[in-house]
Amino acid sequence: MPGFLVNLLTDGPLYESTFRLAVVLAFAAVGEWVAERAGTINISVEAMLLGGHFGAAITFTAMPNFALAIAVGGMIGVFIAALQAWLSHFLTADQFGIGLTLNILLLGLAAFLQPRFDLDTQLASVASIPLLSDIPVLGPALFGQRWPMYAIYAFVPLTWWLVKRTNWGLEVRAVGEDPQAADVSGINVNARRRQTILYAGLLSGVGGAVYLFGQVGRFESSNIGGKGIIAIAAVIFGGWTLRGAVAGCLLFGYVDALRLNLPMILGYSLNSQLLASLPFLATIVVMLLFARQTRQPAALARPFVRGLK
Amino acid sequence: MNMVLRSAIGRLRFGSDQRELALLYVACLVGALLISLLLIEFNGSSWSRAVNALVDGAFQSPGRWGETLRRTAPLLVVAVGSSVATKAGIVNIGQEGQLLVGAMGGAFILTLVQPGTPIMLVLGIALGAVAGALWAGLAGVLWYWRRIPIVLSTLLLVYLASQMAAFTLTRGALLLNVVPGEPNRLLQSAAVASGSRLGIIEVFGNRFSLSVPIALVIALAFSWLLSRTTWGFRLKVLGLNSRTAQRAGVSHFRYGMSAILVSGAMAGTAGAMMLAGGESQYKFSSGFSSSVGWDGLLVSLVARNSPILAVPVAVVFAALRSGSMFLSVAGIEAVLVDVVRALLVVALFIPPAISELRRKRRAMARQTERI
Amino acid sequence: MVLEAGRIYGILGQNGAGKSTLMKILIGLVTLDSGEIYMDGQRVLVKSPQHAADLGIGMVHQHFSLVDALTVWENVVLGDRSNRLDAARARTIVAEIGGRYGLEIDPDSCVGSLTAGQRQRVEIIKCLRRNPRVLIFDEPTSVLTMEESEQLFAVLRQVVRDEGGTAALVSHRLEEVLQATDDVVIMRDGRIVAEMPTSGSSLDELARAMVGRDVRLHTSDAHHMRHGAGAGSDVVLRLSGVTVTSRRGGTVLDGLSLTVRAGEIVGVAGTEGNGQRVLADVLSSLCKVTTGTVEVGGVAVETGRAGAMAAAGIGVVPEDRHDSGCVLDMTVAENLMLTSLDRVSSRGALDRPAMRKSAERLISQFGVSCPSPDVPMWTLSGGNQQRVVLARELSVRPKVLVAAQPMRGLDVSAIEYMGDRLREAANAGVGVLLISSELDEILHLADRIVVIYKGAIVGEMRNEAVDMTRLGMLIGGAT
Repeated sequence: MPGFLVNLLTDGPLYESTFRLAVVLAFAAVGEWVAERAGTINISVEAMLLGGHFGAAITFTAMPNFALAIAVGGMIGVFIAALQAWLSHFLTADQFGIGLTLNILLLGLAAFLQPRFDLDTQLASVASIPLLSDIPVLGPALFGQRWPMYAIYAFVPLTWWLVKRTNWGLEVRAVGEDPQAADVSGINVNARRRQTILYAGLLSGVGGAVYLFGQVGRFESSNIGGKGIIAIAAVIFGGWTLRGAVAGCLLFGYVDALRLNLPMILGYSLNSQLLASLPFLATIVVMLLFARQTRQPAALARPFVRGLK
Repeated sequence: MNMVLRSAIGRLRFGSDQRELALLYVACLVGALLISLLLIEFNGSSWSRAVNALVDGAFQSPGRWGETLRRTAPLLVVAVGSSVATKAGIVNIGQEGQLLVGAMGGAFILTLVQPGTPIMLVLGIALGAVAGALWAGLAGVLWYWRRIPIVLSTLLLVYLASQMAAFTLTRGALLLNVVPGEPNRLLQSAAVASGSRLGIIEVFGNRFSLSVPIALVIALAFSWLLSRTTWGFRLKVLGLNSRTAQRAGVSHFRYGMSAILVSGAMAGTAGAMMLAGGESQYKFSSGFSSSVGWDGLLVSLVARNSPILAVPVAVVFAALRSGSMFLSVAGIEAVLVDVVRALLVVALFIPPAISELRRKRRAMARQTERI
Repeated sequence: MVLEAGRIYGILGQNGAGKSTLMKILIGLVTLDSGEIYMDGQRVLVKSPQHAADLGIGMVHQHFSLVDALTVWENVVLGDRSNRLDAARARTIVAEIGGRYGLEIDPDSCVGSLTAGQRQRVEIIKCLRRNPRVLIFDEPTSVLTMEESEQLFAVLRQVVRDEGGTAALVSHRLEEVLQATDDVVIMRDGRIVAEMPTSGSSLDELARAMVGRDVRLHTSDAHHMRHGAGAGSDVVLRLSGVTVTSRRGGTVLDGLSLTVRAGEIVGVAGTEGNGQRVLADVLSSLCKVTTGTVEVGGVAVETGRAGAMAAAGIGVVPEDRHDSGCVLDMTVAENLMLTSLDRVSSRGALDRPAMRKSAERLISQFGVSCPSPDVPMWTLSGGNQQRVVLARELSVRPKVLVAAQPMRGLDVSAIEYMGDRLREAANAGVGVLLISSELDEILHLADRIVVIYKGAIVGEMRNEAVDMTRLGMLIGGAT
């Protein structure tokens, strides 16, 4: 047994897989983190991921330019986020109902439009960072990936800076903790909330595109299946801190990678349904063990209308 | 931009609240249909062919009425269960999984116990209800014990349920129908024993099972339960103001859990009834739920969580589903219907949201100010 | 209304007179329908709080302006238009303004952990840093001890003198206005009915102008004293050593013990923020105690269990009826029957006609003004909503009635009505616990006065033998 464990812990490809799967989760989770700090919950990040994923595939088929496709993916994510934001935080429709409907809508759209396009996509080229990717075990995982993956290294600190070091971020945090006080202080509560949702849309859209070019290479509508939800779980697992959300993504990415790599490591095949269930089971178990509600933004999931509590 | 929109909305006056609401609904419906039109045209076919195919498939062609009714039943039952949960303020969106688990549970009795008898039918459906309730109850336990949001856990459980269902169909010891001498190409269960099937009603060549009247009864029963019993009253209090509920003796756990269990039971019942009523030739397979759970949720959203209103809305949704069978004949993807229906729901969110907003603003103006 | 530089104005008026709305217009939270506002001779239209700050109008709010989870300096700069967040500069601002006006506060402490007096300092610093020329204080002293109020008035005086601006002190407390202002503006029913310099005005004059008729002031009238009330009767409510720790670890109630006897009115005096809200929550089954017991009629009641307190015979008229007193979206009849559903149902089925009849009876008995029992609760005025809550609580014949800040937000006649009803309940043998931060109310109604400070009862005295100095000291925390 110990030999097996050593194999498990030093399996380079396993970590590479982990990183790739964690990245798509992280794009969604980091964006949703900002939105949840403002007090909103957007289960439509699933739709935003899918929209970016699909949009990038279509764009690349039309014009084989990775950067363009990723940008379009991001814009589609923003568009979907705009629907969610406008309907729930301008018109005060129920944010869960809207999120759910958008998810269903996107799934239907993807299934409907996919046969229309003869999708032709490919993986982006690997860009190993010279010295760093030679570090044993973790090197290739962190620094030997296809180049779109590295975008996450920029977005995480950027997001941290936005929320912790700008006025906008301070207002976002205020809005999520005490929207009445923020309102009286002159902040447009719902506008801030909508902006954070748009940000989540941008990140998730880009994340879906990066996933296409960095991990899967080919569009299947089942590629995203549930990743948005797991990303939200990662935010909760992390106690609504950025660090925690990223840690959650790594953890869930690891479990997802296990699903793909365990049979190879062990040398024999495992029950495929059990493997496929692993990410979701792990999410539940992890939340059971680690979810702490004390750091939850006080106004989370409570819509704001001025004058009414 | 928002300021312009806001004042535009504020300035819309149509004389009476009802008229305004009706106009909003019409405007939004038209908008959704226009987008659907665009999609159809983009597809290369004409919308008139699409509409004809839909109407043909849903009502006109012989026997299609029955198909529509058949599909209405589980949608209605799921929607009714969802209304109960929403009234109590619980966001249970895992009905797709609860339905699958219910069908799975029912399948154990319905397909495996030979010979079939009406008692087995009842037991099968009951087991389906219990299974659905437990699946939803799991999410409830996770909330009351560890504060894991129900919206999240019910969604995760949907994915788990489909894996579980697939699993039961890989083992002959479970639900897989192993035909001796033939390789297992179709992953499905045995058919429901003929004695355990729901009776078929035939009206003018339209065939549907007893699940339709049963669903109607369930809708009426819950409408009564929600509006005319202390249980329903207390559920409403819990959903509208949980602190006042606590003060008035409505235990969050007891009433919240009961709402979750009921909504899960309804989804499970719908699944079991689908199986016993003839869905997919009485055989359980891994795609069995075919989005009925999601659709049922959408029905209840559109029907504003009223079991009675859910009846006509469920019929409309069912018509879209049965109509979609004929779309391929007209050269259109059946999946279009999925898109149209989601578009409709999005559009239908708008009018009640606007009127809620304005009502709240007016209510605020009426309050005596504090000091 | 004209506000001149260098003077402090008191805006006086009862609840519902329009003072709050007027201030909200000035600060940009409410838009006016007609009329003009001029600053320094220029016509202005205040569009938002941000705009008001730019114009030089600043308000120190009574509630709802500070975010608990953020630090002092973060709250002070909240709402700024700049893009960069400069923590160092913010801290300097806090130190500088605090030092200038004697409002010292640690910039890095979390607002949630501050006392009410400290929070107000943060509010003032937040307001002053924009260098307002028009300073508005909204009911500032309800959370302050007498000593802190004095300090506040000194700050006010200094600011007005230093900045050459003007200040408006919005209040419904007559003594306070007399003490701190130069001129008084009196509002009634949405218009200004009188303006006069403070010196030379008397309490009676102000009170009469405020209400429009002669009004009995809230003093310890012998006429209303119920001598010996409660003496010798049974203890209906007893709290022993009740301690409640909040989720964040702070002690909210600290070994609180008090008793209420049948037929007596016990007034819990003290400035806001000393545990009154949690005390009411405990007695409403909304909060679980960490240690200690609650006994009704000698029988211990489980805390935190839904409906246990109500079932044991404790009725509560809560501080915030929208939060836990009623369900706004339900009808008046449904709200009236909230706690007595078993009386209007048989074997689980609601008897709607019976509900309606009971509701109609209560509506007429308590004079609730509403077109029918089937209208939604949110259509009623604040005073009527309070009547509905009171009616519901009294209709089940409780042993104890807890009234938390019951007169808040009510106009004069509603206040008189509430007072009468409370006294009537006491006369009928109910033990009444009146929790209020308005000393007037306590003095007017209570038989026995206890003082709550930092979550514990620190002293008590009978109303007929009240020692105002000692009372003031207890409220302020001195022993």
